[in-house]
Amino acid sequence: MKVLVTVKPVADPNTPPAAWIAEQEGKGGSVNDVANYFDLIAVEQAIRLKDIGVTDICIVSVTDDSKMAQVRSAIAMGANRATLIDPEGKQLGAYQLAASIAHVVKKEEPAFVLMGKQATDDDASQVGPLLAGMLGWPQATFVSEIGFNDDRSRVTVGRETDEGVEVLDVKLPAIITCDLRLNEPRYATLPNLIKSKKAPMERLKFTDLGIEDKPRVTVEAYSLPPGRSGKAKMVADTAELLTTLKDMKLVD
Amino acid sequence: MNILVVAEMQLGKLKPSNRASIRMAQDLAKKDGDSFSMVLLGHQLGDAANELNRFGAKKLFVIDAPEFEHYLAKPLTDAVSNLAREHGFDRIVGCEATTARDFFPRLAGALDAGMCRGVSALCEVNGETCYQRAVFSGMALRTERIHTPIHVMTVDPTTMDDPTEGGAGEVVAFDAGVTVGDEIRFVELRRAKSERPDLSVADRVVGAGRGIKSAEYLETIGALADKLGAAVGATRAVVDAGWLPNEFQVGQTGKAIAPKLYFAIGISGAVQHAAGIRGAKTIVAINKDAEAPIFKIADIGIVADLFDVVPQLIEGL
Repeated sequence: MKVLVTVKPVADPNTPPAAWIAEQEGKGGSVNDVANYFDLIAVEQAIRLKDIGVTDICIVSVTDDSKMAQVRSAIAMGANRATLIDPEGKQLGAYQLAASIAHVVKKEEPAFVLMGKQATDDDASQVGPLLAGMLGWPQATFVSEIGFNDDRSRVTVGRETDEGVEVLDVKLPAIITCDLRLNEPRYATLPNLIKSKKAPMERLKFTDLGIEDKPRVTVEAYSLPPGRSGKAKMVADTAELLTTLKDMKLVD
Repeated sequence: MNILVVAEMQLGKLKPSNRASIRMAQDLAKKDGDSFSMVLLGHQLGDAANELNRFGAKKLFVIDAPEFEHYLAKPLTDAVSNLAREHGFDRIVGCEATTARDFFPRLAGALDAGMCRGVSALCEVNGETCYQRAVFSGMALRTERIHTPIHVMTVDPTTMDDPTEGGAGEVVAFDAGVTVGDEIRFVELRRAKSERPDLSVADRVVGAGRGIKSAEYLETIGALADKLGAAVGATRAVVDAGWLPNEFQVGQTGKAIAPKLYFAIGISGAVQHAAGIRGAKTIVAINKDAEAPIFKIADIGIVADLFDVVPQLIEGL
């Protein structure tokens, strides 16, 4: 059984927001890249499913050579190979990313695609459902539990929703996006990192895929969210706290 | 502009975050002197349509069919895209909930539209209406512009004012003409039983952090919440420890909330959690560590043992 897993290199989430914005605006600053954490959860899940029928894990990433280390670290966790799509310097939006991945899916015909529920830089969580729509496949997003049924033609998933865990029975092939608590991704070991350099890697160029490159959404500006006052009124005891809350009409 | 609000049901009632979508539609309509319409989807809607129809919408489309008893992405996408095509809607507004977050990108794809997720404000760039939204785990704001004829968006309920009341629109039953195949089947919803308000939109929230030391103490936290008519929330550490289910988590990897009053109890105030409560109107911090970062973002603080303060609060409220 073949599985595709998408991996996006993103800025380290611990980067100070001002430095991240400067980098986004092309005003310099050095920002470390990491593999999107939710994508690593997807990679880990594919590896765990190796015990029950997954034989071929292919990482798919839309990225250029400068971010190869993040892709390699994902391969080194236990994937077999990778397909890279070089954006050739273009800023690609959710539509272009989904269409690029759809190109690989149509060629590879995997049993399913595992993705992170969102990238921690754009926080858009659009590519998974967009891809499912393009392929006409069912989708299960924000998944925190996953298991095959007996003949492996369907999976049962638990989705994290506002109301609780929603359990769905999904026919394969499908798009599955992974939430935080599906698993704890393993670290790639040094020998595996070295071995990952020999993993087969197919390279495609975005402009060869025939995808419309006119952006549907563009970024116009960045700013920092308004800060809080930072001046807490300190009270001495519970009695004063209660009086303060009542005076401010926050409680009756 | 021809604006459509997609209103949803949640456990037999109107989803509270519909209000933010309605307000966004009102704001968009005001910009160009247009009207807006709504669609309500579900099954056995009862009085929900009447309850929804008091915000000045021109029309309220009602799609009431067994196919919509449980939320599923594909039938909803098909229904709303059919409606949008038939009536020429070019602004589709939904709520930032795990439902619309799931099916709106698929809807945007079906309508060849650009989409912005979690819009927190409208703004103008060179005379064009643009959409501001939080990115980078809520630590930065980004202004985005949609270039397709149809704009699709979900709205962040933590930043929107209440919608203004208005007249009732014409109620139109819409036959969505969708079928549900066997490719995806609803099995069950495993729900933590709670009579308390919905954490995402509650006016008051009592948040518990690692400082409460054990799951048992959540009973006392719950008693305080009940005294206040508040929802209970928690930090990632509390949820990771298994003391509360995942849907209680507030912060970068959980929910972003904006209650009028937030009690941070035994919460250090790490970035992870702070990002989720930035929109709170008043933050009350109870922590015995005077150096805890929570005091830097709190409005009212008390350096004291929570095991003393919380029972006293319950007593005194």
